Amino acid sequence: MKRIVASRCASQLLAPPLPRHALCPFAAAKNAQRNITPRSHRIQARYQSTAAIRDDAGPGAEVPDYAASHLPEASKRRKINYAPEQLPSPHPRAAASSAKLHALRARLSLPERFPLQTLARTLVHPSADPNPYFNNASLSILGRHLLGYYTSEYLICTYPRLPMEVLFAAVEAYIGPKALALVAKEWGIEAAKEPGGEIEPGLLQFKRIPTGEGLPGSLRRQVPWNWNVTTTHKITKTDEFGSANAPPSAHALQQTPVPSEEAAQSFVRALMGALHVHLGSPLVKRFFRDHFLGRHLDVSTLFDFRTPTRDLSRVCAREGFESPVARLISETGRLSRHPVFVVGVYSGKDKLGEGAGSSLDEARTRAAAAALKAWYLYRPIEVTVPSSTEGELDTSKWRPNLIDCGEVIV
Amino acid sequence: MPLSAIKTVAKSQNGVGSFILPCKSISFHYCNWWGSSRGMNSFIKASLPTFARNNPQIEISVSPRPRRHPVLIAHYINGTTRSICVKNLLNEGVREKAEILRNSTGEKNRKTGKPVVSVNESVRGIWDPFHGAKVQI
Repeated sequence: MKRIVASRCASQLLAPPLPRHALCPFAAAKNAQRNITPRSHRIQARYQSTAAIRDDAGPGAEVPDYAASHLPEASKRRKINYAPEQLPSPHPRAAASSAKLHALRARLSLPERFPLQTLARTLVHPSADPNPYFNNASLSILGRHLLGYYTSEYLICTYPRLPMEVLFAAVEAYIGPKALALVAKEWGIEAAKEPGGEIEPGLLQFKRIPTGEGLPGSLRRQVPWNWNVTTTHKITKTDEFGSANAPPSAHALQQTPVPSEEAAQSFVRALMGALHVHLGSPLVKRFFRDHFLGRHLDVSTLFDFRTPTRDLSRVCAREGFESPVARLISETGRLSRHPVFVVGVYSGKDKLGEGAGSSLDEARTRAAAAALKAWYLYRPIEVTVPSSTEGELDTSKWRPNLIDCGEVIV
Repeated sequence: MPLSAIKTVAKSQNGVGSFILPCKSISFHYCNWWGSSRGMNSFIKASLPTFARNNPQIEISVSPRPRRHPVLIAHYINGTTRSICVKNLLNEGVREKAEILRNSTGEKNRKTGKPVVSVNESVRGIWDPFHGAKVQI
């Protein structure tokens, strides 16, 4: 729903510029690239999205102190040797030797140039590691916006007449919290029992809610800010699923015990963000198409009409059609235990919809609902989404999208 | 509210768009003393690197299981586990068993009843006595 400037988001989530010689361990492993000064924005971004640690450290892990890293000069940074058990999340160096991470990267068909250190970082929820350089909060914010953008533009362009409530429900069916947790499960993500620096970096790390305790206050459903939450408010102020309240920010969940669903969805979102930073938007779009749009959702099952006959007559009045008339097409067993009536809804000589039911009224209601679905689920033949022209010089393939005047107001 | 929406979750159809191999990890358990592990040990030395290279999406672990028969244990995406005892099998036999585990979905073996299983609803609509052949009343 919301437009974002992706490049600005990407620069916000990155770590502050580091001294040139302190490259990330992934780059350090490739000796050939050692002497190259990263020139392009993308290369620079790659070094920054994984918190860079010098690879020539001693046996213990060497991390910059978080408080000291805010000092302007790098020389003032305090270096403390920590044992892995003292770290809140696994050291980035441990990622390269993790069999689980290698397997996960291959399972998702990600290219070799996507560094495992970043993949490991996307698995660390802020509840496990409060340091924003080592957790996935910033990447998941970027990924959440990318997922919302790609999903809503696909749905709006494919079904231009979809009512707003149904559009929200369809977006939630593709990238809602439950859907993302399911996606993470289908990608074979396992969660660690307890986060820590010494555990396998290929496991999802978050602080679990202790048994018998309810959701933390920030995740509990709050009362709406206003008694009258309008659709406009849902579009502009809250999340992409039309909730009455905005969800808590990813950075606000530091040290808060969270349910596993929240951690799993933050991983999937962070992975999208990390892919955008490292591989660029064409690959992210392909990844999104393969892993999210490939899922099966029948949009026609999302509708829940209260008074379809009244809605249909309003649609016909608005569009200048003749007012709809229900006519019996066929029937069987009217006096039996199982009568079946087939009723069509006609506007003049055009049949708008047909429905079958065990009473005349039921069949008429079903026919009106079918006619409304046929109207709302109109699909243009050729669809080009706005993001398909991003960074393309040739715009001859672009087809302007249909903008509908919206659902009928009853 | 004249129109409201029903909340659902889009269903995965593995293989449409992307394919995720259901086999997540295979662990190879061997014994150094028992003769039943001879084929397994030669497989680990000779063929396991090739098998691992050909299947990068599977996490492979090798661990000793002293004074027991050799066994392959596979973990699947849906949370199930399958294990195959490979006692007295030769190198090739162990490789075949490992490929059986790799190709499995982790579901229980069951008979497929109907030839076509579809998530889409039927396009034929409701049965009606007046459709099809002409009925003279």
